[in-house]
Amino acid sequence: MERVARLKLVLWMFVGLAAAVATARFLFGLGATTHLSDGTPWGLWVGFDVMGGVALAAGGFVITATVYIFNLEKYHSIVRPAVLTAFLGYAAVVVGLLFDLGLPWHIWHMMIYWNPHSPLFEVGWCVMLYLTVLTLEFFPVPAEDFSALARVRRFLIKFRIPLVILGIALSTLHQSSLGSLFLIMPYRLFPLWYSPILPVLFFVSAVGLGLLMVIFESHFTAYLYRRKPETHLMTPLGVAARWVLILYVVLRFGDLTVRGQLHDLLGGQGQVKLFWVEMALMIVIPLILLFTPQFRDRTNWQWATAAIGVSGIVLNRIDVGGLADLSRGTRLYIPEWTEIVVSLGIVAAATLVFLVTIEHFRVWERRPADPNADPRKLPEFNKVGLTWLGTPVIAGRVKYSLAFVIAAGVGFLLLGNPRAASRGVEPTPVHRARGNVMYLKTGLVNDQKPTGTAVDGEEGVLYLDADLTGYGVTFYHQREVERNGGEKSCVLCHHMNMPRDRDSGCYECHRDMYLPTDAFRHDWHASPTGANLACVECHAPGYARTSEHVKPCMDCHKHLVPAGATIKIKTYMAPSYVDAMHELCIGCHAKVALKENKPEIARCVECHKGKLNYADAQNLLYRRRALAGRLVVLPPATPANHSEGK
Amino acid sequence: MKAAILTDTTKCIGCSECVLACKKVNHLKEDVPRRWDTDDGLSARNWTSVIGEPDNKFVRKQCRHCLEPACVSACPVGAMHKTELGPVIYDSSKCIGCRYCMMACPFGIPRYEWSTIVPYVRKCILCYETRLKHGQQPACTEACPTKATIFGDRDELLAEAQQRIRNNPGKYLNRVWGEHEVGGTSVLYISDMDLSFLAYGEHFGDKPLTQTTRVAMEAVPFTFLGVGMAMSGLYWIIHRRMKLQTEQASEDTEHQASPEE
Repeated sequence: MERVARLKLVLWMFVGLAAAVATARFLFGLGATTHLSDGTPWGLWVGFDVMGGVALAAGGFVITATVYIFNLEKYHSIVRPAVLTAFLGYAAVVVGLLFDLGLPWHIWHMMIYWNPHSPLFEVGWCVMLYLTVLTLEFFPVPAEDFSALARVRRFLIKFRIPLVILGIALSTLHQSSLGSLFLIMPYRLFPLWYSPILPVLFFVSAVGLGLLMVIFESHFTAYLYRRKPETHLMTPLGVAARWVLILYVVLRFGDLTVRGQLHDLLGGQGQVKLFWVEMALMIVIPLILLFTPQFRDRTNWQWATAAIGVSGIVLNRIDVGGLADLSRGTRLYIPEWTEIVVSLGIVAAATLVFLVTIEHFRVWERRPADPNADPRKLPEFNKVGLTWLGTPVIAGRVKYSLAFVIAAGVGFLLLGNPRAASRGVEPTPVHRARGNVMYLKTGLVNDQKPTGTAVDGEEGVLYLDADLTGYGVTFYHQREVERNGGEKSCVLCHHMNMPRDRDSGCYECHRDMYLPTDAFRHDWHASPTGANLACVECHAPGYARTSEHVKPCMDCHKHLVPAGATIKIKTYMAPSYVDAMHELCIGCHAKVALKENKPEIARCVECHKGKLNYADAQNLLYRRRALAGRLVVLPPATPANHSEGK
Repeated sequence: MKAAILTDTTKCIGCSECVLACKKVNHLKEDVPRRWDTDDGLSARNWTSVIGEPDNKFVRKQCRHCLEPACVSACPVGAMHKTELGPVIYDSSKCIGCRYCMMACPFGIPRYEWSTIVPYVRKCILCYETRLKHGQQPACTEACPTKATIFGDRDELLAEAQQRIRNNPGKYLNRVWGEHEVGGTSVLYISDMDLSFLAYGEHFGDKPLTQTTRVAMEAVPFTFLGVGMAMSGLYWIIHRRMKLQTEQASEDTEHQASPEE
């Protein structure tokens, strides 16, 4: 069974990768493993894993309704795979939700804290109840093999029809309520997707998706296990899906027309292109294929139609869930690779469970025979490792384990430590300072003149904006020279002592301006190759081993603080360079401002003149933005001392 | 009394004292620019921020404490709660971390602690626990040196805002932001510039957002019963018809069989 074995190998690899990412997700949190942000709090995990998963599971209620309610007995053979797919789809939704929720261990709060106004409350309850119903619907299948469960099985089969009806009602609610979720954000969702009839659209497309998914799954497993494809059975399902899709397209465009949003279809935004891709995959291509008899009745074309349609409708869910979001921030949400890997991993795991279930239980009339399990088969020999891998069953397990472990290892390598450990602090991109001339009187920045030379009567200043954020610092070069003692003072700033070095900026050394600096290397002190100290040599016994109950560095490092110095060592985390610079300047400025009664010298504007200009504000006394807890209260500025400052 | 805040952007000098006071009272740590922050200055550690606009204009952004809050209606476990006094507060012990409140908020206010492994939603709660309960005004309004942002009863502040607009013709745009949008908010603004950039939509309706989902939620029991009954009815009809058909068929065969015998 070559095809199945190969597919399983690939699936195990995806599960392995996802396992690595899952570890990072639960160790470092959502921020380190996703591209979600305050601007787009929902992304691929909601759009694909939750909304797509629920939609993919729609085959369950569509087929049970067809067979048990509408009594179309010829489809009886596909009920079991459809219910199994639905069950696994919902199980995958729950797993996906555990990844996406910030506090997954609180998921049971849904049961005890109720808010009946919330569509998400309805979604949660529908998932719980329908998963239970699906379990009860599918349970008779594995129970067949165990005589001890025969009574339970008989009992469940007696209640089959009420269960099926309950399942259909719950599915109807649930498929539509996923659309209701977005009703509350009319200003957020792109107008091409937002609609008051979103619940109806979601329900109709789910029915279509259910039909297409059954076709896809039937042909896919037939290919895998080399069974005879059920083409004749699938053709009417395709025809039914055709009418559902037509109903959908009428509803959707009718809604756009009524809401007067048709003009949006011609826009040039990315979302409009996304809409047309979605429409092509979801409606146009499947409908063309389904309306042409030579495509509709052929196995391979049926398969292709179903795959395209399914991907289109899933794309629709992802779009609503995050891609078609009107983010307020400047950055666009594009899923991080880790998000994609987790989504694929969950699908792979669900597929593996599906394959194992159909191999071991009577999901089909005849269980697919596993040739690997044939006892007459010879043990497998690995030519590379020159080892015997045992019987094909054992050899298969060895290969799958190996695939999982290697993929997990690759995953850990790809994750890398720095990104996870940075906790969302982006490495500040630094550039050479641009020495633009700025004319203070007009407040204009002249981008055309790159270097600062004084222009008649006006003082040329450097406008330093090293991280290119648009927030710069003005630098009065001439004033600095005068204050620091003429030409001899050059080396105070231009200190890098490199050939032709004239204007080395702060960024030349301080590339991590915003990161706090760990001045104390704990690992080195504890390691046998470092200081080789036992814990109790610094941390007092009996207390929590934190920085609060630790003896000061100076107890060992006697020369750390020279005699007579006024510096006190308080914490082991040095502040970031930005904080350090601010503290150096502001502390002294504030003191002098108080002493000399010159409040303006302590103003932020003394250095920051990029975008904010405080100079005209009348009641401004002393303002500083960076450090809390160091407020200096000054007497109100009188016109006299205000002019004195100028 | 319905607690409310009126911010007059023409009086704001952008000193950010409100931001500092907020940080102090709520024990928020220093802010580090992070990958997932948006550009309005709000974050899990900054519950209010001052946005600089061209021409030395400043707007303070904070939670609007809507009269009919979308976040409260959206939260599946009721972790968001509108108090009698006016503020919308958050109960972290109930939160499951679904972030639906962040999606639902039309002003994009709630922020998330993305960097931690036990993350909570963070937003302005109008100093409910620390000050408002004890009869004090929020820290930000107390700290404002120019009285650009003031605290009071909503009706009184609304009257004050309208009076300021009347008394200073030409100084303000003739509109109180927060009077009617999405059903009205507790935080009001008067300004000499258009403040619609504070929200997602350019043109907010006056209908509360909670009404959009209410229609769908009220249909739930009827849909459930309707679908259930329709399916049961269909089942009954189809199966009865099938039964009659098979009976008919067997009778027919009996009829046909008998003469031949």
